[in-house]
Amino acid sequence: MVRTDKNGQKGEFKKTTPKDIVYFILPFVSIGFLLLLWYRVSSITSLFPGMVQTYERFLLLLEKPIMRVPFYGHILASLKRVVIALLAAIVVGIAFGTLIGWNKKCDSFFGTVFNFIRPIPPLAWIPLITITFGIGEFPKILIVFIGAVIPIVLNTRAGLLSVEQIYLDVGQLFDANRWQMLWEVAMPCATPAIVAGIKTATSAAWMVVLAAEMLGAKSGVGFLVTRGMDANDMPLVLVAMITIGVIGALLGVITSLIERLICPWMRIK
Amino acid sequence: MDKKTKTKKRDKLGRGQNASAYTYAMLSFAGVMAFLIIWQLLLVAGIVSDRYLAKPTELVVLFVQKFSDPAPDGATLLVSIWASLRVSLTGLILAIVIGVPLGLCMGWFKALDRLVTPIFEIIRPIPPVSWIPLTILWMGIGLRAKAFIIFFSAFIPCVINSYTGVKLTNKTLINVARTSGASYVETFYKVAIPSALTMVFTGIRVAVGNAWSTLVAAEMLAASAGLGYMILMGRMFARADIIILGMLVIGAIGAFFNGILSFVENHVIKWR
Amino acid sequence: MDENKVILKISNLSKTFEDKKGNVVRAVDNVSFDVYDNEFLVLLGPGQCGKTVMLNVIAGLLEPDDGEVRLDGEAVNGHSPKIGMVLQKTALMPWKTVIENTEIGPKWKGVSKKERREKAESYIKLVGLSGFEKSYPAQLSGGMKQRVGIARAYTNDPEILIMDEPFGALDAQTRYAMEEEVARIWQQEKRTVIFVTNNIEEACYLGDRIILFSERPATIKEIYVNDLPRPRDMISEEFMKLRTKISDNTDLAI
Repeated sequence: MVRTDKNGQKGEFKKTTPKDIVYFILPFVSIGFLLLLWYRVSSITSLFPGMVQTYERFLLLLEKPIMRVPFYGHILASLKRVVIALLAAIVVGIAFGTLIGWNKKCDSFFGTVFNFIRPIPPLAWIPLITITFGIGEFPKILIVFIGAVIPIVLNTRAGLLSVEQIYLDVGQLFDANRWQMLWEVAMPCATPAIVAGIKTATSAAWMVVLAAEMLGAKSGVGFLVTRGMDANDMPLVLVAMITIGVIGALLGVITSLIERLICPWMRIK
Repeated sequence: MDKKTKTKKRDKLGRGQNASAYTYAMLSFAGVMAFLIIWQLLLVAGIVSDRYLAKPTELVVLFVQKFSDPAPDGATLLVSIWASLRVSLTGLILAIVIGVPLGLCMGWFKALDRLVTPIFEIIRPIPPVSWIPLTILWMGIGLRAKAFIIFFSAFIPCVINSYTGVKLTNKTLINVARTSGASYVETFYKVAIPSALTMVFTGIRVAVGNAWSTLVAAEMLAASAGLGYMILMGRMFARADIIILGMLVIGAIGAFFNGILSFVENHVIKWR
Repeated sequence: MDENKVILKISNLSKTFEDKKGNVVRAVDNVSFDVYDNEFLVLLGPGQCGKTVMLNVIAGLLEPDDGEVRLDGEAVNGHSPKIGMVLQKTALMPWKTVIENTEIGPKWKGVSKKERREKAESYIKLVGLSGFEKSYPAQLSGGMKQRVGIARAYTNDPEILIMDEPFGALDAQTRYAMEEEVARIWQQEKRTVIFVTNNIEEACYLGDRIILFSERPATIKEIYVNDLPRPRDMISEEFMKLRTKISDNTDLAI
């Protein structure tokens, strides 16, 4: 089909219609609108820091440490908590999820208790954990661990329960023993579900570390938010929020990359 | 191959031997009992100090007592529950009512998709909890501020899942509807929306979880009532029993929400 | 070929199961037949007639309600390593490459990597898939996947090979090609093959003997001996005669 667009070019290859141009422009319109809104709101009221103010605060933050910790130090502090908790959650979560997903009796015995504890949001553990362990590094990691381990256990269990019967038949036809049935048949079947669980766990962990830091810490990006709030330094709050958003998004990208690495067969389709 | 290993392998999942439903029920019961007994014994034997944990038996007493006794956090249990429910339901219902239709339309109408999605992608990675300081600045610590944060945490999964649900509509179904003479808009509500419903419910489920968990954070950071406030006060007065009771009630209500949602989902989506 | 040596003896086999609505359905009713060593036996029956249930019983994936299966004179109880199977839905492991899929039998028995690789390699060559060893199943066509399924079954060295409607999901062209292929492989690698199909032409092309089953519950209607010379010509007069004879005796659903 040959079509002619606004500029009179023959669109033999691309078929660019006026509609396509509008679609192309729309995202810029909306982002422009967002920036304009930010500019207007911050110029009318003092309740929202302006763009220039925020940018200057960002530059200042790069130079001047808060609580003797430089900006990147706060980021690293948060990341360290997340990574340690996440690694522990992956090991414990997959082990426990496999136990209750593979053995029905263990599922009844441990699974019921787990199901009672599961609906308690990780943040609700903060008071109990701080009353026991204070406000050091370990209690924070423990809270993040609780937030991260639950989705991993749930996904591992669900992944093992939804292994297709036909693969188990193949396992039986080729005389796999129980161990091979689990490691060579069931676990690979469940891997995409487990990886999805780890992805959920990563974003949960990032959220929890933030809240835990806001509720009592001397370092970390969550601490920067509360610090800004306490000092009535709203540009700092906004810088911290943007940092949190960017790192959260980066963590998402990294987990997706890891997913492609772990499940190479998922790429072909 | 002896008889025992054979039955083992015959089990549908190749897992442990199949036992009766009665055995599994008893195992569940035994698991819960063992958990409670170990918990109680740890405290009775003094292995764990009662400053850090409360005995299950004490919790039962406290639970009953808390219905009439406002000490130490200044509200009876029902008052706290009501305060939390009021905030979370306000935010949640607003999020569903606005978020689901918005997400569905974004999935179907390309102009809306191109206009709104970029804003979403920018705001989405910022956890709702980190909006708390700004919200307090704007709206104080009343119902409005907390409901806004809850709204925020529940709104995003509602939109994203409804959007994805529409995007995943089977192309063949759309073509069948279009070639049978349905207009673009008709196809939207007769084909795309029904087929997106499962995803919509998943979104609402995530939204409920998010809302409830964000509520706890909001009530701990800025509130003078509610279950989150109750456990925070428990921490202030070093009352482990108050904290644990609060946690259990929070968990129970969360589970209850989930139960209602499954019930509604099964009745709305009958064809599954 | 010793026509008279019975390798597998199926006697008075019956099996019922419950369908989704909870009705008890009789799938196999009092079926007895013998399988001779190294023969190509075809079980022919209409779709849904209970053939798959019967196969699963023979392979030891299901337990019979009644009757027994004897392999080399010994009662089969559970799955015997001497029986291999090619499934209709190939069920290749999507996370394993072609060669890894092919070698699972010896691998799970603990055969060394070098040895099992060599063996898998030779069967991959036999089914004509050399060069695809490193591919994932998702990269293969339906016919190629089924070839891997066949190679996988042979690599495990079974005495009896059961093929459960292996070409049911293939298009007509590929199906003819695969039929030729299976006949060729069987002549090259003599084994007892029990081949299940609902296609009369396929049955006549492949089988030394053809057992015709009724509609559900599956009972034996007739046993045909087919001694046409191989490779068989699907449009020869004798072939047509046999084909007509069988189809005249067949329940409509075929």
